[in-house]
Amino acid sequence: MNGPLIVQSDKTLLLEVDHEQADECRRAIAPFAELERAPEHIHTYRVTPLGLWNARAAGHDAEQVVDALVQYSRYPVPHALLVDVAETMDRYGRLTLSKHPAHGLVLTTTDRPVLEEILRSKKVAPLVGARLDPDTVVVHPSERGQIKQTLLKLGWPAEDLAGYVDGEAHPIELAEDGWALRPYQKQAVENFWHGGSGVVVLPCGAGKTLVGAGSMAQAKSTTLILVTNTVSARQWKHELVKRTSLTEDEIGEYSGTRKEIRPVTIATYQVLTTRRKGVYPHLELFDSRDWGLIVYDEVHLLPAPVFKFTADLQARRRLGLTATLVREDGRESDVFSLIGPKRFDAPWKEIEAQGYIAPADCVEVRVNLTDSERLAYATAEQEEKYRFCATTATKRKVTEALVRRFAGQQILVIGQYIDQLDELGEHLGAPVIKGETPNAQREKLFDAFREGEISVLVVSKVANFSIDLPEATVAIQVSGTFGSRQEEAQRLGRVLRPKADGHQAHFYSVVARDTIDQDFAAHRQRFLAEQGYAYRIVDADELLTEG
Amino acid sequence: MSTPATPPRSLAEALRARDDASLAQLLRARPDLITPVPTDLTQLATRAGTRASVVRALERLDRFALQTAEALAVAGDPASYEELLGLMAGDGGDPTVAAALPRALGTLREQALVWGEDTRLRLVRTARELLAPSPQHPSPTGLGPSVQEASAGMSPGRIQEIVAAAGLPSTHDSVSAVAALTGLFTDRKRMAQLLGGLPEESLDVLRRLMWGPPYGQVTADPAPRLRRLLDLGLLLPTAPGTVVLPREVALHLRGGLAHRATEPVPPVVEAAASYRPQVVDATAAGQAYTALATVEELLKDWDEGGPAVLRAGGLSVRDLKRTAVALDVPEPAAAFWVELAYAAGLLASDGEADERYAATPAYDEWLEQPPAERWARLAEAWLTATRTPGLVGGRDAKERTLSALGPGLDRSAASEVRHRVLTLLAGLPEGAAPTAESVLARLRWERPQRREDDLRSRLAQWTLSDAELLGVTGRGALSAHGRALLGATAPGAARPVPVRSDAAGAAVAAADAALDPAGAGDKLPVHHHPVPAPHPEPLSAAEQAVAVAAAGRLLAPLLPEPLDHVLLQADLTAVAPGPLRRPLADMLGVLADVESKGGATVYRFTPGSVRRALDAGQSASDLHAFLTAHSRTPVPQPLAYLIDDVARKHGHLRVGAASAYVRCDDDAVLNEILADKRAAGLGLRRLAPTVLASQADPAALLEGLRSMGFAPAAESAEGDVLIARAHAHRTPPRTAPEPVPDGPPVPDATLLAAAIRAIRAGDLASTTPRKETPSAGPTGELPRTSSAETLATMQAAVLTGEALWIGYVNAEGAASQRVIAPVRVEGGFVTAYDHTADEVRTYPLHRITGVAELADD
Repeated sequence: MNGPLIVQSDKTLLLEVDHEQADECRRAIAPFAELERAPEHIHTYRVTPLGLWNARAAGHDAEQVVDALVQYSRYPVPHALLVDVAETMDRYGRLTLSKHPAHGLVLTTTDRPVLEEILRSKKVAPLVGARLDPDTVVVHPSERGQIKQTLLKLGWPAEDLAGYVDGEAHPIELAEDGWALRPYQKQAVENFWHGGSGVVVLPCGAGKTLVGAGSMAQAKSTTLILVTNTVSARQWKHELVKRTSLTEDEIGEYSGTRKEIRPVTIATYQVLTTRRKGVYPHLELFDSRDWGLIVYDEVHLLPAPVFKFTADLQARRRLGLTATLVREDGRESDVFSLIGPKRFDAPWKEIEAQGYIAPADCVEVRVNLTDSERLAYATAEQEEKYRFCATTATKRKVTEALVRRFAGQQILVIGQYIDQLDELGEHLGAPVIKGETPNAQREKLFDAFREGEISVLVVSKVANFSIDLPEATVAIQVSGTFGSRQEEAQRLGRVLRPKADGHQAHFYSVVARDTIDQDFAAHRQRFLAEQGYAYRIVDADELLTEG
Repeated sequence: MSTPATPPRSLAEALRARDDASLAQLLRARPDLITPVPTDLTQLATRAGTRASVVRALERLDRFALQTAEALAVAGDPASYEELLGLMAGDGGDPTVAAALPRALGTLREQALVWGEDTRLRLVRTARELLAPSPQHPSPTGLGPSVQEASAGMSPGRIQEIVAAAGLPSTHDSVSAVAALTGLFTDRKRMAQLLGGLPEESLDVLRRLMWGPPYGQVTADPAPRLRRLLDLGLLLPTAPGTVVLPREVALHLRGGLAHRATEPVPPVVEAAASYRPQVVDATAAGQAYTALATVEELLKDWDEGGPAVLRAGGLSVRDLKRTAVALDVPEPAAAFWVELAYAAGLLASDGEADERYAATPAYDEWLEQPPAERWARLAEAWLTATRTPGLVGGRDAKERTLSALGPGLDRSAASEVRHRVLTLLAGLPEGAAPTAESVLARLRWERPQRREDDLRSRLAQWTLSDAELLGVTGRGALSAHGRALLGATAPGAARPVPVRSDAAGAAVAAADAALDPAGAGDKLPVHHHPVPAPHPEPLSAAEQAVAVAAAGRLLAPLLPEPLDHVLLQADLTAVAPGPLRRPLADMLGVLADVESKGGATVYRFTPGSVRRALDAGQSASDLHAFLTAHSRTPVPQPLAYLIDDVARKHGHLRVGAASAYVRCDDDAVLNEILADKRAAGLGLRRLAPTVLASQADPAALLEGLRSMGFAPAAESAEGDVLIARAHAHRTPPRTAPEPVPDGPPVPDATLLAAAIRAIRAGDLASTTPRKETPSAGPTGELPRTSSAETLATMQAAVLTGEALWIGYVNAEGAASQRVIAPVRVEGGFVTAYDHTADEVRTYPLHRITGVAELADD
């Protein structure tokens, strides 16, 4: 009766972090429960069907889950919850997808009524072929992803035992000269490789690229890497050349400007989803080589059409990399069924504690609108309101004060609205990178920033992802994409790269008080607060008088 | 029961021969017989033979006793014990049946359903009528009518043919022919020979009908295999196109068995799983705590105006749904909690014009009690209530939806079934959880249900799930405190010898005894100390109160100790890692929204929740102090900021009500008004230097100011000065009312003439003297007796089967005399064979002027 875990009736698990058994308990529940919030004292895990099936897929059974709950729970675990856990887990594996020597891909069941039930579903019917015997039905190989997705929605997830094709072999080695994979990166690679396919969740700045590289070295085959944009593609290339035995010539870039197909090809989501006359002309990229591994960077941003293509790639190993599985569109279950279950997850604070990401001080600065601005805000059209309060002139003053305060450090000013950014750039005398800035110019500015030639850079949302600016120590966010939680996480990630001198990073979010800007900010910060990044709140007046 | 010197000739005589203890048993088993107390044993016997009472008694029999009664109903009247044993145990003579039969027969005798000695067992006539097979009411035995009954309507010639075909000596007397045929069918050896000579397909037909239903369809020109059976009388026609398998033939084929499956012993309640008793108790205690929290949450939710009471009573479906969402439970569970709170007297309708549900004052008292006592109160209410939340959402006989808290949810059996189910659970070793099926099977054996909706099984199922919700059971096994609810005495303590009066009692004891050493016990780790035996009968109110208090005492140490602190976190949540002390929980409930419940509670602070606390009269500094006092960790900065930020804006705008105002550019005048004593009645308050607000309406304010010597002008809503002048008030366009004449329109001449003709014809018909019906009575006069006497004589005649002479006045007022043989007296009617009319008729007792016995022939 004195365990560290409290099981709630809504299937959340509360873990008291300071309890002596907390670590033990965390390890016991991590396989089946999703860490939902990790603030300072009590971490919240959630038991979901998806999580339970994840655990089943990883080889855990219901008994282990029940044991873990009962063993560590402080209060008696409701019987109904235990029954529910057992029943949910029991649903996994009643159906299996496997290879049949004569018929290719088949769906078999150990429980005939389940097969009858799902075959009666209108959504399953078009995906299956002939019934071989009462327990087996043929599935068209191209529908492997589709059927997994559909079965998951019906609540009968199928276990995919059909294996993977090896793909075209290509020698890739990690070049560990003077550096080595961090222990958690190794663990992530290992977990992924054993699981076959799946998603690795690591905080920004924790070296997801290296997990990708490690997996490629493990696969030793041709690899297709899908990334969010061209800058990010270049960075992947740069990193791969630096960290692996791959040479420049072996890595191709497949983007709007270049269409190279090499043993390792890095393509952007954007080019893949370009549509011309109703067709996706660049889709053939998937078939252009016999890929042995497909890496999805920032899997939480995977555009819906790419999901559809992914459904056709079920015979290839798939690695998803992300900082958060939170999708604003709620398609987490598609990630599960099409890319794979979560294979590795480490709370941000844990990695920070190990010294692999910089500690950060998050501050929300509340600025007051002036009286005339308040009147204008009150009368603004609904859709204009956010823009209006997010770009208030007071924010400029605060930003200037902050830049002054951190003079000499590398500062990023991040915002949503180009006018605002241009104005800020002008006042701060800093270059602005936005959507229309050509890639060459962007790279040049980023390089200059890295080298310390420029100390302040004003960037729009183009810099949200995968841009490695290790020396940035201060980020000032002046406006964002409404309430996007993952954007906030990504932006914080910009300053979390470990600093050479190990000093603290600062993340400032400037927010207009008593407006929807404040509401959106609260929503955005929730993810980070739940990751243990507590925001301090400071009044702009205070800051201005200090500065 | 002592054997009287002379065998009894009627049930009354049989009862007369019984001693007081045995009569007491009867009355305890059938309490309806003494409401009201009968004047003598004849009346008692009469009442014991009424249909309603017999139906009730039969419904309360266990399966084997009922099967015995059913067997007696198809046996001869009277039947010998051997004949009965043959029907029950079959030709093989099943020893378990033979062993159990004396008990079952004893039960039937005790309940006055069977009387007579072993050689002449008689089932009371009403029971026989109820249980004997008839085409309308097929018997559970699946047997058809006897040869004698089935051949009643057949022509003598046809019977002769059958007798001849069966190879029996021919006789001209139909009665002896039927007797010979019966004799053949009941003689196993001759019958075997007869059947041996039949082709296989004919035997197939018989086998198909043998276990019932015994009726089959035949065409006008039956196939040879049927033809042969009809010829031999093995199938007898009942109606054109329908044949029946006579009872004797079926019994021969069945090897003498009246039932396909005779069930002499009750099915054993099987343990599905067993847990350590500590685990069971802890789980149950956890659930018990949840139960308290749920009831509290429910009533808290209804604190500020609960849901409205439907006009027909009860909670609307929408309100129930809303409650289910609020409690985060499925709807049936929500209905359970609402009904539980209602049954425990914690919740009721407020009885206002706009009727709503709300917590009762008893709820506030309940809240003050320690948790274990609060639980005990809920448990007691649940155990004894007859209200059945499981029915909510279903429909009653009139197709009206049954709503929670509404009428029509009482089921008298509910409390008894709950007690019985828990008693069955208590019969298992500690920590053993039974399978629901075996509990249901056992209950069905104890009380077979003849009706379609097996209410008792449903009640039992609900009991199992409710007990789990309430924390009486944990993981399906009865907890220690659950056991205590039944009034189980502690092991070793002297316990009263249980009085087993119900039919199942003895059998139950036997089964329980068998279960203890060998049953589920062997699946368990050692539990050698005897399980305290529960009281077999529902307890009296006083006993129940003692038992409930004992249960509460057992539960108390298992409930978690309330905490006085929470953990505050920077993501604006507070976690209470266990139940909180009441004032703390109440305050937090106001200051933050509950996000997740269970062992712990997660609260989230939002601007809305902080504002709620400020509205409740707290100040920002109070809130800071409160959080600092109760948080184990420092108050996170964002939380402190949130409180200050909300407090900063709180109360910035003020809203109030006023019904008029006074406006004046000269504040000196307003000062003057305020200072004037005569203005006190106007309820004036200064809002701004030039504005006064008043609680008086504008007209009164104008009047008041004028009386003070001012000359105020009225202002319109737009601020213009209103010009006072006569203004006639008008309605919007309206149509004039239609005249509503009193009564129907005046009829025209044709209609009147037709009506008068009809009235005259009716008058003539009722006033013309009628011809007297020739008297059938011995004296020619209407007998006159008092109504009580009439009733008594009638009832006596039912028992003796004698014919009576009655005077009867029909619906038109015409009197007649009739000779009737009463069959049944019930509900103010007598059903009798009317010798005068030569048919069975039903007469209302109040129309019978008198009754006289017929002179002996």
